[in-house]
This record gives sequence, structure tokens and C-alpha cells, in this order.
Amino acid sequence: METHGSEEARQPAAMTVGDAIVAAAAEESRTEARVTSEAQAKNEPHAQSGAHAATGANIASPPKPVAHGRPIVITSGKGGVGKTTTTANLGAALADAGQNVVVVDADIGLRNLDVVLGLENRVHRHLLDVIEGKSTLDDALVRDRARRTLNLLPAAQNREKDDVPTDAMLALINDLAVCFDYVLIDSPAGIEKGFRNAIAGAKEAIIVTTPEVSAVRDADRIIGLLPPDIEAKLIVNRVRPALVKKGTMMSVQDVVEILRLELLGVVPDEKDIIIATNRGTPVIDVEGSETGAAFRRIARRLLGENVPIPDMTAPEGFVERLKTSLGLSKSQARRA
Amino acid sequence: MPGTVYVVTSGKGGVGKTTTTANLGGAFAKLGRKVALVDADIGLRNLDLVLGLEKRIVYDLVDLVEERCQTRQALIRDRRFHELYLLPASQVKDKEAVTEDQMRVAMRKLAATFDIVLVDSPAGIEHGFRNAIAGADQALVVTTPEVSAIRDADRILGMLGNRRARLVVNRVRPDMVRAGDMLSIEDVKEILGREIVGIVPDDEEIIDTTNRGEPVVLDGSRRLAKIYTAIARRLLGEHVPFANLSDDGLLDRLRRLVIGS
Repeated sequence: METHGSEEARQPAAMTVGDAIVAAAAEESRTEARVTSEAQAKNEPHAQSGAHAATGANIASPPKPVAHGRPIVITSGKGGVGKTTTTANLGAALADAGQNVVVVDADIGLRNLDVVLGLENRVHRHLLDVIEGKSTLDDALVRDRARRTLNLLPAAQNREKDDVPTDAMLALINDLAVCFDYVLIDSPAGIEKGFRNAIAGAKEAIIVTTPEVSAVRDADRIIGLLPPDIEAKLIVNRVRPALVKKGTMMSVQDVVEILRLELLGVVPDEKDIIIATNRGTPVIDVEGSETGAAFRRIARRLLGENVPIPDMTAPEGFVERLKTSLGLSKSQARRA
Repeated sequence: MPGTVYVVTSGKGGVGKTTTTANLGGAFAKLGRKVALVDADIGLRNLDLVLGLEKRIVYDLVDLVEERCQTRQALIRDRRFHELYLLPASQVKDKEAVTEDQMRVAMRKLAATFDIVLVDSPAGIEHGFRNAIAGADQALVVTTPEVSAIRDADRILGMLGNRRARLVVNRVRPDMVRAGDMLSIEDVKEILGREIVGIVPDDEEIIDTTNRGEPVVLDGSRRLAKIYTAIARRLLGEHVPFANLSDDGLLDRLRRLVIGS
């Protein structure tokens, strides 16, 4: 397959960003089709029964339980935009609202969700142990100290993403959705096997991005890779209102216009988050924190409440440049 | 003598690999070195945006390793510098499009004509990371003074084999270090046990210059430009003392004057 579609398109002068975007879109739709058909193949009954064998007999009690929980993947493409922080805080806020929650660390080899929740000393079994039948789910789950309905399924630190078969991941998430109201899956950065595993069992996706050109570009790529049956919503993280007003940071409206996703929430940047993360306490527990308040509002929106999103107005600027790079300038408004 | 190939990597994403690659590349070029920057983040490229070269991409790394173009055709010259070139990543392929052997061959070719080759690694420890380190002689591990970034850096250091690895500590906030809310440089050094070649403060300028595609090193009078130049000189073997990061506020200066510490 040619990178830029056809040999004609490869003539240096004739090659425009628009061409590249068209070629990219074509390739992405092929990828989507493949991901979907794989997912369908994995919903076959034999995959299900295999899962129960792998995750312990305690779950597979007759009559066959119905998955009522919502498996939601938190992903971004770019690293360091706040996936793990979002997962931990939404998990904690949903637990506070009385929901039964499990947060799943899908970053095999580079786990961090345990540190952010302050649970690293309680981890003794992990996701791969469960998949490989070395541990029951009950033994691997780490219960949070303060919140009795918040549970962590940690990642293995000394293994690789390639060790996890995608169908086993799908089956595991299906099992978790039987026992929990919310299954929040913390995806690794990138678009490799770890990402594909993280989205395997998800029915919804929360795309986390920051108002920076590189993060928005990566988010756009990720959205194109999600299978169409996953409903995606957007969190714009690390917004610095002062910079937006100065015109050196993209506004939330700019980001939404480029990515065309429903906005689930806007989270301001504060140093509270660094302090809270280093201490292993969710920022929603920091009194007076705007960042924490924003995560609590997002959790309420997930629960179906109508909570308005505070407005952050901003001027135009370099935004046009990013839109052009993504093929979204006015002459190329293809993506309705 | 062939040039040196450095991989710029971190484990954790978003700690500043791409920004470091762009600015160090610019700093080396300003010091008269012939520099090639390689974006190894196939499928999620960003080095082109940070350098403002995104509209000039014709061929990319995948084209080069698959021999659909010559090295000089794939390299984009950044005319704002004397000799700085970008080898962009493909955006529509994935990391499996390139093998470690192909990367080794491509990097050896670049090192034959360039003094310095900086390879911008993707986040994580998957195939893309292994490709990025495959052809590298040495490593620059970028981290921030945060628990999760340090933990990931520690994991990465264990995967670099016998390559010499040095640290760039990015996004340091002296006020937070003093308040005890952030790990200090000494803490980072003690935990990771490697030489630190750069300490870069957290600066809003980076967001702005990245969004505009103008590396901060372009303007030599800026504080961050001086810091990146110092890192480049340390990598070239010079002894350059570290600047004091803490003179960043009137209040701090006043406090030192009054308390005398």
C-alpha cells in the first residue's frame, strides 16, 4: 500500500496536505473495518466461555449473568495529556456517587494508575495473571482505601503489551461489566497493540486532549482508529484560561470544532494535580481545587445529569494552521 | 568519523521528547554541527509541527527504508538554521511498517553524513520504541520531576542495553521544589543514578512556540534557548555549569536578599 495513495500523488510539487489527508482517511476506514470484524469474531460464544475459564469460575455462575456495566476506554494518542489522572478521578467520583467501579490499567509494562491512586504497595496480582489463569479476578483486584466501591485491576510491570491476546482482553472486560457499573480502561499512549487491547472491550471512549497542536492532531488520528460502534466523547484537559485569553493557547471551542466530538468536560490546569498525583490522592479530594471540581462535574455528566460546562472564550490565531494540517480549512471541509 | 546517533526517549508520553529533540537539534546546528532529526513516531508524528515544517513533507522514513526515495529526497531542510534537516515519520502507516534492522541501516547511513542524529522516540515500550533505539549509539532520557515519569524513565533505562544514557529533567518548577511539592534534581539523580545533562524549567513559552512551529532556540536571547545550547555543549564534551533556575521571581530574589540564603 502506498503511503500517499498513488504514484501520481507522490510527485513532489503536486503532493498537498489535502492529498495526504484523503489517503489517510481511506486507510483509516480500512483499519476501522478490520477492527470491527475482529471485534465481531470475538463475540462468538467460544470466546466467551474461554474468558470465564481464564478469569475464574467465581464469575461464571449460572444463569448466565447480563453485562449491565459501562466499559469506557480513556485514550488520547499522545502521552502525558492526562489519561491516567482522568481515569483515577472519574473512578473515584463515580464511586462517591454510589457506583460500583473498577479502573483497569491497560498500560502493561509502564503502569502508573496504581501510583496515582496511592495503591502501589497493595498490588500483588495483575491483569495478565488473571488472563493467564494464575489468579482469580477477586485476588487481583485492589480495593481502594477510602472508597469501598472503587477497585483497581493493575497492569503487569515486567511484561509486554504483546503478551496480552486481544480476545482475552475483550473477554475480561465483558466479565468486569457483569460485576461492575463502570469499567474505566486506562489506555497506554500510542496506536500500537496496547491501544488496540485497551479499546477491545470498550463500548464508549473518552478522548482526552490538551489545547496544543500536537495533542489535537494525535487525538484526531485516534478518533479515526476507533471502531464506529464505540461512542466517543471529548475531555479538553490542561486548559489555562490566562493563555487562552492572551491568544497563545487554543480555545476549547477550537478543539471541539476540529475534532467534532461531543464535549464531556473541560479541566483547567493547576499545580494541584502534580501535588495530588505525587501524593497518590485523587485531585477531587483536594479541597477548593478547580481541577477536582471539573472532574466531579464530568462524573455527574457520565451519570446522565445535565451539568453545564463553564465557558472559556478565546480569540483565533495559529488554529487555522492546525486545521490546514488536518485538512479542515474552509476549502476542504469534508468532515461533517 | 561517523556522527553520533542519540535516541531521545522517556517511557512516559508528554514529558517533552519532541520539544527536546527540536530544540537540541537547533542548538547543535547553531554550534556549527550538521544535524539530522528523525521522527520515529510513525502514525503519530509531531516533530514536523513543532518545527513548522509540516507543509513540506513529501517523502518520509517509511519511504526511505523501503527505498522508494533517496536519503536527500526524504530530508527536509530547515532553512532557519545552517544545517538542520528533518526526516519525517509517515502518518498513515503504523510502527510495524519498519523493522529494527531497517532502522539500524538507515541511521548508519545518516551518521555517515551528519555529525549529530537525534531520533525522536514514541512514548511507550512497544515496537516503535524498539525501532527508535535500534540504530542509536547513546540515549537521552527525558523525564519530569513526577513520580509516574520517573518510574517510566527507570523502566526505559533498563531497556537501553549498554548504550550510554543521560538525563534531561524537564518542566522543573523551582517554586514547587522549594515548597516540597515536587521532587528535586538531587532526588531524580539519586533515584535514576545517571548523569544529568540538562535541567529545563517549566515555561509557558514552550506552548506558544510549539503551537506556532518556531522552536524557542531560534531566539538566542531567550532563557530556554540558552539552556538548550548548554545541553548541546555538554553533550559535545564541554564543561558548562548549570544555570541557577531559582532566580525566577522578584519575591524569591527579595527573600534571598533579606534572608541571605
